[in-house]
Amino acid sequence: LLLLSVICSPQNYPLYIRSVPTENELKFHYTVHTSLDVVDEKISAMGKALVDQRELYLGLLYPTEDYKVYGYVTNSKVKFVMVVDSSNTALRDNEIRSMFRKLHNSYTDIMCNPFYNPGDRIHSRAFDNMVNSMMMQVC
Amino acid sequence: SRELFVLTYGALVAQLCKDYEKDEDVNTCLDRMGYGIGVRLIDDFLAHSAVKKCRSYSETADMIAQVAFKMYLGVTPSVSCNSAAGNEFSLILDKNPLVDFVEELPAERASLCYCNLLCGVIRGALEMVHLAAEVTFLQDRLKGDAVTEIGITFLRKAEDRKHKRN
Repeated sequence: LLLLSVICSPQNYPLYIRSVPTENELKFHYTVHTSLDVVDEKISAMGKALVDQRELYLGLLYPTEDYKVYGYVTNSKVKFVMVVDSSNTALRDNEIRSMFRKLHNSYTDIMCNPFYNPGDRIHSRAFDNMVNSMMMQVC
Repeated sequence: SRELFVLTYGALVAQLCKDYEKDEDVNTCLDRMGYGIGVRLIDDFLAHSAVKKCRSYSETADMIAQVAFKMYLGVTPSVSCNSAAGNEFSLILDKNPLVDFVEELPAERASLCYCNLLCGVIRGALEMVHLAAEVTFLQDRLKGDAVTEIGITFLRKAEDRKHKRN
């Protein structure tokens, strides 16, 4: 089960948080916050080496006993983080990648909306529907 | 490219919204800008399309929908006549490229006519061929209606008025 999706701005504050189910939210928020450190570490480590080959998908950030955290960062330093339940072993890497790609595409659609200011929290209905359907699909 | 144009139009509307507090002011401003574009665009349209003179209002409305919209926006609205007198027409757009990226109007801008520029363009262009018309949005998908409908009402010809004066 996909527990949590978060989009963070380049300044590391959250633009969008959606979790299913909604109990224990604070614990997940804390997890995502700590995982941002791991994301930053990965970006800086790879950046100095071959910048051309740096991938957007960061993969498994770190596993804990209950859940796994995956990360994805865009070239504009917007970070996507997903927390998945460890019991869900059926979820393959490709599926995670495609989910991040869908998130990224929907995010660029939001950016093109002239009434959206970068750095605002995301309040779009279409985006909510997309994330809901994506998370429901995995449950 | 189409995307650059759509994004530019969006930035224009967003900037106007920041400049003016009231929706009516933004709508008026868009209409005025559209008018300025229309009076200039008509010559470009006539030069590139080489259409013959329209003999009736319904031919004019068809021309706007099938030739002009196709040329500049890439869509062809359907035309319907609204009045028995034959001077009120509707252009029904089921696909409007200008609002591709706008999902819905922000809550505080509920009466904004996002594409009001189009109304001004049509009005300005018609005036340069001596056809006075009123052009407004009858339905707008961004406001929750099913389709976007632009209403064109042809008023008495400006030429007739000139003749009567002499």
